[in-house]
Amino acid sequence: MSRVVFDHVTKRFGDVVAVADLFLEVHDKEFLVLLGPSGCGKSTALRLVAGLEQPAEGDIIIGDRIVNNVEAKNRNVAMVFQNYALFPHMSVYDNMAFGLRMRHIPRRERHQKVLDAAHMLGLQGLLRRRPGELSGGQRQRVALGRAIVRNPSVFLMDEPLSNLDAKLRVQTRRELIKLHRHLETTVIFVTHDQVEAMTMGARIAIIHEGALQQVGDPQEVYQHPANLFVASFIGSPAMNFFHSELRLHDGQLMAQSGGARFPLGEEQARALAALEGGKAIVGVRPEHILLDWEAEEGPEAGLDVVVDTVESMGHEQHVTFSAGDTTVVARLDAGRSLREGERLRLRIDRAHMHFFDPDSGQRIE
Amino acid sequence: MDATDATANQRLPLIAVARRQLQRLRGVNRLGFALIFLIPSLVIFGAFVFYPLLKAVYLGFYETDNFGNQGDFVGLDQYRTVLTSESFRHSLWITFLFALYTVPPGILLGLALALLANQKLPGISIFRLMFSSTVATSVAVASLMWLTLLNPNVGLLTYFLVEAGLPRLDLLNDPDWALPAVSATTVWMSLGLAFIVILAGLQTIPDELYESARVEGASGWRLFWHVTLPMLSPTLFFVSVVGTIFAFQSFGQIHILTRGGPLDATEVIVYSIWEDAFGKGTPAYGVASVQAVALFVLVLGLTVFQIRFLERRVFYQ
Repeated sequence: MSRVVFDHVTKRFGDVVAVADLFLEVHDKEFLVLLGPSGCGKSTALRLVAGLEQPAEGDIIIGDRIVNNVEAKNRNVAMVFQNYALFPHMSVYDNMAFGLRMRHIPRRERHQKVLDAAHMLGLQGLLRRRPGELSGGQRQRVALGRAIVRNPSVFLMDEPLSNLDAKLRVQTRRELIKLHRHLETTVIFVTHDQVEAMTMGARIAIIHEGALQQVGDPQEVYQHPANLFVASFIGSPAMNFFHSELRLHDGQLMAQSGGARFPLGEEQARALAALEGGKAIVGVRPEHILLDWEAEEGPEAGLDVVVDTVESMGHEQHVTFSAGDTTVVARLDAGRSLREGERLRLRIDRAHMHFFDPDSGQRIE
Repeated sequence: MDATDATANQRLPLIAVARRQLQRLRGVNRLGFALIFLIPSLVIFGAFVFYPLLKAVYLGFYETDNFGNQGDFVGLDQYRTVLTSESFRHSLWITFLFALYTVPPGILLGLALALLANQKLPGISIFRLMFSSTVATSVAVASLMWLTLLNPNVGLLTYFLVEAGLPRLDLLNDPDWALPAVSATTVWMSLGLAFIVILAGLQTIPDELYESARVEGASGWRLFWHVTLPMLSPTLFFVSVVGTIFAFQSFGQIHILTRGGPLDATEVIVYSIWEDAFGKGTPAYGVASVQAVALFVLVLGLTVFQIRFLERRVFYQ
């Protein structure tokens, strides 16, 4: 059993709170991604599990035991660092065998394990080379090999793909997923790249300023973001936000933001009406913004805009519109060609509006 | 050159024009061009390094009369006489002992202090300041300090010995202890620089390597052996080579503390050279020059030896 639990863990560096009362359980054999912007505390959380940092409060649990006072080498975890941290004066073989040597594993067994791991990662031909003679991708595989060889209960990966070029990154992502399936161990993967998180994680834990924002599978996090931060961090291009007020229009409750009017369904109206101040932030993802061919005003959620910039992606285009002070980004079909300065009316897919409390940032259901 | 060339030249910046003209020069001409820039260095090195070296070799071939004038040409005889003399063999032995007493302890002590001062503890910068402070003392000042420290009547050493109920020691006048005492002074003097260089080397070792080793199961001594030492090897090699060269060139502290005595117990080669050339009433430039040339060959040989045998174990990144 190799689940990992952060039991109300807090970590401070002087006055800075790096991890704030984190409660998170990583299930046995799960691939969990810790996602967040630089400096949010995700690496610190990882290092707490590794034993490289001690929590100020709370417990770190691996399997069934609390490991707060257990040294890093006795926790049976393996870590892959962002810069790989390979020993530059040792060969690939010696790098991979290092952990086993430290544990006094007999030579023949060591040799076999290293060869097995090397074979799994395609490193057989490189065993005599030094890290300095390898490419970035090869070094990364050696770092992985060093971790695999010890058969740890938990794999910790600190942004291992950040130093690879784009194409290699995509390829390595797929290989890591396959590797995880093959090895069947718990993996905690830290990244700031939300695309990596969405494609790799069984679940994603989003962290911001040391606090857990939301944890769930990619679909859930994408379709039901728990607060403004998650909504703005996940998804590219980012979600559009409209600061709006509740108004009554033609007997129907609407959220009005500048020139945009968002008619509310019954449930939505009830939830929003319960808010003090009658203000809400409406969030709409770029793919849920549509071109309105018929320039009509109606009960639909509509918005008058001017075309600002058009970025062609080939199969689609990302268009930035301006409506007064607000900027709206939409993902539109590449078919219709738009010119800068063109005036249009946009329609918003009502089924995909998200509402957030402007004070707390929390989602309103 | 046609009209297009001319107009192109007008538009190009000066550096491009210079480069073009340089490329038009043939090999030898380029060398001449380069020499013009090298002349200042060549003049200085020539006057203060190459000429004295060649002159010393030359002087070794000539006897010197009692007034210091150049005497008869004796060829290699003087070389043979001096280099096989009892006195020279003694100096050679003392010099080797001196190097042995100063270089390894200097490196080990510098390493130990640097390891201690490399920790992230509050107030550690005070210790770093203290340990590196000897780099600011001159040979003369340091020697005078130790002369006083070791003085049997007023020195600090005597104070501690008396407090402990032990007899006084006059180390600098004891033929058995003079060399170790002078060596201690030398180690103290050179500690500052060794400490700074080794500490700098330690700080270039990435933390991630230590962390990675810790997660892999290493701790304490094994971290030092598998991470610190290999990554520090270029620095230690440097300190060893340079330290050896400096040890063989030591003069100041010997002159102030013991003047080569007592009973020639601290008569290193450099001191013997000085004595023969300037210290005695009758200057013996020929004899001194022979020893100087011998010292040069010795240090060169030791350096080559270190490069050939020690550098193999050094790991460069």
